[in-house]
Amino acid sequence: MKSFSKLAYPYVAWIGVFIVVPMLLIFLYAFTKEGNGVLTLQFTFDNFFRFFSDSVFANVLWRSLKLAFVTTIICIALGYPAAYFMAQLGERSKGLMVLLITLPQWINMLVRTYAWRGILLNVPISAELKVLIGMVYNFIPFMILQIYTSLSKMDKSLLQAASDLGADGVQSFLRVTLPLSIPGVVSGITLVFLPTVSSFFIPKLLGGGDYVLIGNLIENYFVSTGDWNFGSAISLIMAVIIMISMYFTKKIDKDVEGQK
Amino acid sequence: MKKLIQFKNIVHSFDGTLVLKGINLDIYENEFVTLLGPSGCGKTTLLRILGGFLDPDEGEVIFDGQNILPVPAYKREINTVFQKYALFPHMNVYDNVAFGLRIKKMSPDIIEQKVNRMLALVNLEGYAKRNVTQLSGGQQQRIAIARALVNEPNVLLLDEPLGALDLKLRKEMQHELKRIQQEVGITFIFVTHDQEEALTMSDKIVVMKDGEIQQIGTPEEIYNEPANEYVAKFIGESNIIDGIMNEDYRVTFDDKQYECIDCGFKKNEEVDIVIRPEDIDIVKRNQGVLNGVVKSVLFKGVHYEIIVETVKGTSKTVKMHILKNHDLLNEEAHEKISANDFTMDLDDVDNISDTEVIARANAQAWSTEDEDELISLQKVEYEVLKEPGTYPVTFTTANGTSITVNINVVKPIYFEDEKQGVGITAYDFYKTADELQESMALSIDLKKWANATAWDLEDDSPVEITDVDYDFDPETVKEGDYEITFSTMGRELKIHTTDYAEEGAKVGLKFGPEDIHVMSKMGVVG
Repeated sequence: MKSFSKLAYPYVAWIGVFIVVPMLLIFLYAFTKEGNGVLTLQFTFDNFFRFFSDSVFANVLWRSLKLAFVTTIICIALGYPAAYFMAQLGERSKGLMVLLITLPQWINMLVRTYAWRGILLNVPISAELKVLIGMVYNFIPFMILQIYTSLSKMDKSLLQAASDLGADGVQSFLRVTLPLSIPGVVSGITLVFLPTVSSFFIPKLLGGGDYVLIGNLIENYFVSTGDWNFGSAISLIMAVIIMISMYFTKKIDKDVEGQK
Repeated sequence: MKKLIQFKNIVHSFDGTLVLKGINLDIYENEFVTLLGPSGCGKTTLLRILGGFLDPDEGEVIFDGQNILPVPAYKREINTVFQKYALFPHMNVYDNVAFGLRIKKMSPDIIEQKVNRMLALVNLEGYAKRNVTQLSGGQQQRIAIARALVNEPNVLLLDEPLGALDLKLRKEMQHELKRIQQEVGITFIFVTHDQEEALTMSDKIVVMKDGEIQQIGTPEEIYNEPANEYVAKFIGESNIIDGIMNEDYRVTFDDKQYECIDCGFKKNEEVDIVIRPEDIDIVKRNQGVLNGVVKSVLFKGVHYEIIVETVKGTSKTVKMHILKNHDLLNEEAHEKISANDFTMDLDDVDNISDTEVIARANAQAWSTEDEDELISLQKVEYEVLKEPGTYPVTFTTANGTSITVNINVVKPIYFEDEKQGVGITAYDFYKTADELQESMALSIDLKKWANATAWDLEDDSPVEITDVDYDFDPETVKEGDYEITFSTMGRELKIHTTDYAEEGAKVGLKFGPEDIHVMSKMGVVG
């Protein structure tokens, strides 16, 4: 086994160069002033003061979190019944359904979002709704597959046991199926909420210029304005918020798992 | 006792295969009933129909005077202990046991009372807050029983609940289950394939096979008076002997008439006779009802298992001619070659082939420099006519080393034993002492060399030759003729006794009329 561990070295190097170093750079930029040379670093908290003093930024952050939250709720509401239905199917139909759900993923997400742009172009709904549709469309497969996996792992004899003990269909679902599928829902939330809150091209393509989310803000400061310091600060704030939200979802997961 | 459950002509099939072929069965109140049979006999299917997890194709299940087939599982007053317990992994012990009561919306204080009483019944007080997944198999088992019993059902179904436990725990749980059943006083329907389990716990055993009931009875009835050969074989170890019921209380087997306690058969009806191994005693020769020779003795812990042959099998004796080593040496080619004369059945002449001839003559050639380096035989020359006589066969290698031996073609000589219905044949053969010594499994090789075979005279099916008797030591055997006797198995009786007997000893066997159990032949369920 030990000799195989060497096989991990290339990826460890990859992590170092392309994940750890850029993270450190983001830190560095976020806490320094614009126009530094490598030798004349000037540390400052200005970037963070700037973000929290202007309500525009806070509004964008709030809007992003709200949208990600609504997207996640809709994904659960639509995805859970779909996953439940899939888990009841025969082996062959199950495979077909999983294929159908993953099939669109074979096409690049950007391409699919362009298609949605065409579809929604002349539909008279708000930019926010268009973005929401795009988000749900793109991320719901993750939710469905996570829930489906946890439902199909479930021992069917548990439902027989519930029925044997007098529980009707609804009671069996509420007391057995639902609690046992919570881990699937939680990992589904992680897989939907995180990319939604930081997505920038879906709002850009579907919302037009007038619907800005936190991802667009970061993109703007890096690409258009060239203010890498402020962009890095926003990225860092995002990262902290994501870490906090991940901590809470993990906690829910643990509380459920903990009873096992 | 009151009838609680009646199965009426239950028929069920899976994918066109009939798994229940019209089951009729009555189960009474407070009974511990065991459905016993091998996997695939339909016992679990029957249980699932009663539990409400399966609808039969035909038939009725009457429970307390009412057909319950239209009633869904969750409304039946029946609880089940599942094969793998099916405990809810997201709940602790207390919540698992309380599940049924909470569904019934009982008040929490009553639930607590009942759950604690149940945990005490299954000896798991103090485990209420434990996670079920961290419990041992035996403990999970008890929780499953408590979870079912807390609902105070009229019937508890147990689907092979002890299957996953180790032997010691299984024995413990057998007593535990019996105790619990007696304490709560309800009907237990227990499914198992373990006959010992069934005998230990049950008030009534239902032996099933291929979707049909073979016998219903108390453990004593099933054990002592099995209805047929199948039940006898399934329940405990038995000697099962073909016999003829001459008249009431008179049965004949192996040419001897015995007194027995069975009656009600047709005159001279063919029957199966069961004699349990523990019912036979070994006594001095001529002091029992039968004489025999001890063939093998196995120590089984509490007792010896002794096999005694009371009737010799069909046998055939042949001569083995041991020849001098007669390798031929080809000095130029540095090769040696050897082969033996052999005997061949006239009937086999048509199917003769080079490979067959090489094998039967044991023809081999090898290098003089390296004895292990076998050289292939390039040519096998022979001309065999389809009439008795002696025909030469010559084996030659690529380098021209050759040897000539004889094939003796003889008319088939069969010995047919009408009494045992067995035919047997074998031939004289020729070998060198070296070949005997090289043999890894002499009995098997002797059978092969002599071409010894036996068959059933009725249907030509092969009969195993179980004994090869010879009177020489293969290590020191010299040239000359030796007799070898091949025989089939005669009547061998298995005996369980605490008295030791020497292998080869001539002994008498004793059993009484009450030890002879007469059953109808299979197919006629009696």
